[in-house]
Amino acid sequence: MRRRAGIGGLQNAAAARDQYRLLGENVARLRTDLMKEQLSTFRSQLEDFARKHKNDIRKNPAFRSQFHEMCAKVGVDPLASNKGFWAELLGIGDFYYELGVQIVDVCLATRPHNGGLINLEELCKLLSQRRKGAREVVSEDDCLRAIGKLKVLGSGFEVITVGKRKLVRSVPTELKKDHNEILELSQAQGFVTGEEVERRLSWSTGRATDALETLLDEGLAMIDEGHRDGKRRYWFPCVSSVSSFVASETI
Amino acid sequence: MAGNWLLPAETTTSGRPVLRPGEVEFSLQPSVDLVNEENPNFPTFKSGLLILTTYRLLWLPNPESTTSPSSSAAVSVPLAAVTHIFQSKRSIKGMFASPRVRFQVSVTPEGRVQERGSKSMVITLVLRGKSDPDSFLGKFWEAWRGKAWEGSVSGSVEGVEGPGSLGDGGGSSSSDTGLALKMPVVGVSGILRKEQEMWESTDKSLQDAFQDLNALMNKAKDMVMLAEKMRQKLLSGSNSQANVTNDEEMGSKEEMQDWLLSVGIVSPVTKESAGALYHQQLSRQLADFVKIPLEKAGGIMNLIDIYCLFNRARGTELISPDDLLRACSLWEKFNVPVMLKKFESGVMVIQNKSHSDEEVFSRIRSLVQKPDALQTGVSATDAARTLGIAPAMAKEHLLAAESKGFLCRDVSPDGFRFYVNIFQDIDPNDEYLVKEYGVYDAWIRATIASR
Repeated sequence: MRRRAGIGGLQNAAAARDQYRLLGENVARLRTDLMKEQLSTFRSQLEDFARKHKNDIRKNPAFRSQFHEMCAKVGVDPLASNKGFWAELLGIGDFYYELGVQIVDVCLATRPHNGGLINLEELCKLLSQRRKGAREVVSEDDCLRAIGKLKVLGSGFEVITVGKRKLVRSVPTELKKDHNEILELSQAQGFVTGEEVERRLSWSTGRATDALETLLDEGLAMIDEGHRDGKRRYWFPCVSSVSSFVASETI
Repeated sequence: MAGNWLLPAETTTSGRPVLRPGEVEFSLQPSVDLVNEENPNFPTFKSGLLILTTYRLLWLPNPESTTSPSSSAAVSVPLAAVTHIFQSKRSIKGMFASPRVRFQVSVTPEGRVQERGSKSMVITLVLRGKSDPDSFLGKFWEAWRGKAWEGSVSGSVEGVEGPGSLGDGGGSSSSDTGLALKMPVVGVSGILRKEQEMWESTDKSLQDAFQDLNALMNKAKDMVMLAEKMRQKLLSGSNSQANVTNDEEMGSKEEMQDWLLSVGIVSPVTKESAGALYHQQLSRQLADFVKIPLEKAGGIMNLIDIYCLFNRARGTELISPDDLLRACSLWEKFNVPVMLKKFESGVMVIQNKSHSDEEVFSRIRSLVQKPDALQTGVSATDAARTLGIAPAMAKEHLLAAESKGFLCRDVSPDGFRFYVNIFQDIDPNDEYLVKEYGVYDAWIRATIASR
């Protein structure tokens, strides 16, 4: 192309560049939109297949591995059995096992935020989001039954009741680091209150209460209800001996 | 060299075969002999585990009969080298003898199994296990005819939306390559047209593939590739356009990364493929699988977490909690580096053997021998902080160390405190004798220093 001289030429070139850029952006946007659309088709088809042809897929090992790969790549959960009549009635079939795996999955994924303690309601909501392809809603009762199936694997996974709410605890005491943090916190004064734990560590009430109660059960904490502000204080004699605090207070 | 007429095969530490990418197990048969009837000079392989995969026949020695973990003894026959599978002949004699399956492989002049070898050799499989030889033969045929190894050898098949997939008439992508090259891509309109065609062809292949299950099976390879491409584009696309904050897009991206979905185990052990060997093989596969997550979690993990991760890696081939527990309890019999531990509270965990007692005890011992600890002892909390574990766990360890005689406890209003056990350094005949450089000696020094 011959380069034209002068201001006119420069302006032309600039305008052309702008045009190209605009076109490029349009194409790019179109491309993303189209791809999203195709991806969602792909996903819903895979979900359908996973539900309808489950047994056929499982019969052919070579195809099964390819099917799994597809699902994993586009983010489709291959576990999508319908609950069905017999599952509902007798608790047989894959439905509750699948749900169990998904429940643990949610717990693992949210563990960094909640320390392994999740509200049953919230758990149900997250599960329903992930199973949006399935037509059935996952009820709290389904969750409880699925968790019941995991009992064989030890008591590391349980449903506890705090007040009116039901919480699911996925980290057993033996593996929980929350207690260490509370003990760390209590070092300054020798005691903590529930409120303080929530505020300083920015935990939910349930998480703090659960951890403190466990420490109490373990015999690591002692409670003091009699203080002037009316708040329950958890003392930790093991962190620094009580006598040293008594001594420092009397002096 | 008659010794290596078959190709060697790799196995993992827990005695599972190392499969190649894309290789999937079809069937497992216990106690199978590999015999070369034409040439009895060749060594026979007695009573081992035969694994039929989409690529190979693997023969693993029986772990119970061999004393040493002789992983080198595992051998394989690539299915590509198989030239013929003989139909089993029924005879009176066959009714009493163990069923046999014969097949012909091509070999080099030296008698080594090789693809497209100049000579051929007949190998006989003697199935001594209580299995159905006919169903095995059927699977053998299926795997052999499937020729799954060909795809893997020739490298990746052309992509679905590559330049070759113009997709008119629904022809296969590779045959259209010539047509694509003829159409010159010129200028902006050319680029746009190409884009358009690409999308149309993708749409079409999606439609074709999801007509029914058979269609999807035939197009599986292409669809896997398409999935991979979509994933790449979506992940890279949202990175490059970071300034465009599209909620929906971020949502779907998160969805893809957040999930634990992964095809960690391409060839999960199933009841169908392993039959009677199911739990045993499952146990080995599990032992191989847990290594990486255990390492990430610091050597100890809740059994339920493992249940989730393992099942996720297996895709649709779920195992029940009972099967998992059985697989774990079988570990005691095998030589695997992991173990199942049950706490008094009923919690079950999986831990590395190296992470277990010995290492923890040595750390506790060094903890209680610090000058401070010699005087005031340690509590479960102190141990928890030093070892970086939960107090409940630390208490378990301290009690275990006490029962081994490393520690002594002191119960006071301050709670349990543990001290190093110096009783074992005291000579019952002469309690004033202080051995140099012993724990007793160190304790005396620390006590004197504090005064």
